[in-house]
Amino acid sequence: MENIEKQAWQWISERAENVDISSENYCKTRDIFQARLEKMTRNSLESGKVDENKVYMASAIAGELGNNSFDHNIGNWRDIPGTFFGYDFYSNDLLIVLADRGQGVWATLKNVKPNLKDDREALNIAFTEIISGRSPEARGNGLKFVRQSVKELNFHLDFYSGEAKAELNKKFSVVDSEKKVSGCLAILRVKR
Amino acid sequence: MRIELKKFGEILVSRPAGKEAFLAMSAYLTKGLSEKEIIEIDFSGIKVLTPSWADEVITKIKKKFKKVEFLNTDNPTVKATLETLQKYSF
Repeated sequence: MENIEKQAWQWISERAENVDISSENYCKTRDIFQARLEKMTRNSLESGKVDENKVYMASAIAGELGNNSFDHNIGNWRDIPGTFFGYDFYSNDLLIVLADRGQGVWATLKNVKPNLKDDREALNIAFTEIISGRSPEARGNGLKFVRQSVKELNFHLDFYSGEAKAELNKKFSVVDSEKKVSGCLAILRVKR
Repeated sequence: MRIELKKFGEILVSRPAGKEAFLAMSAYLTKGLSEKEIIEIDFSGIKVLTPSWADEVITKIKKKFKKVEFLNTDNPTVKATLETLQKYSF
């Protein structure tokens, strides 16, 4: 596991009092997240390690995922508000991680689908159906965009929430997670 | 009427930012225009666009005006976003 990935796991798994909120990867507000997303885009382009179009698409995916954390947890964080957002280059691949200590997908979607039975069903629906926990607002196309973009560009995304993990690449599947994630954790690998 | 999106930023990703952009457009750019007005949305200079931002702007403009044209849509995030909106929102 790469260092930035370990930091994200640690950030989401620690007890609240042990979470490092001084980390440069911690985005307490949406404005901070936006600024760091712009910085990541700029740095990735300047590095020349990843194709320009892939950088733009990776930034769009990270933008959707990071903003989802704020959209669906504002006023309702479990403890620490905001997201952990980090990135780094490994063997010339770009690795992006995002994590939030929010309600998670199942709890969010139960607002509109009370009969959802578990985290796996919730993740499956989140990535395949037009649905949003913020009904009656007409929204819910973001994760469908993420799924399609990952597929077309041959990226790899592991998205954890609760006791489930969605694996996205050319295929899409939802399996039991090896670890429970209280909130959401996304690990995006962008191949050069 | 041509709307140059780069005047709202190069990286357009969040719904709140999209809502704000649409309100500004409605007050200063499209106010008083007939629904028959041709609206040209120019994507030149945009680096990153997402369905969340675009849904708050493009989808609403499409609902308000009958003739909406898209210009300079070469950026891959613009193409992918418009495809997503075409499929789920328009």
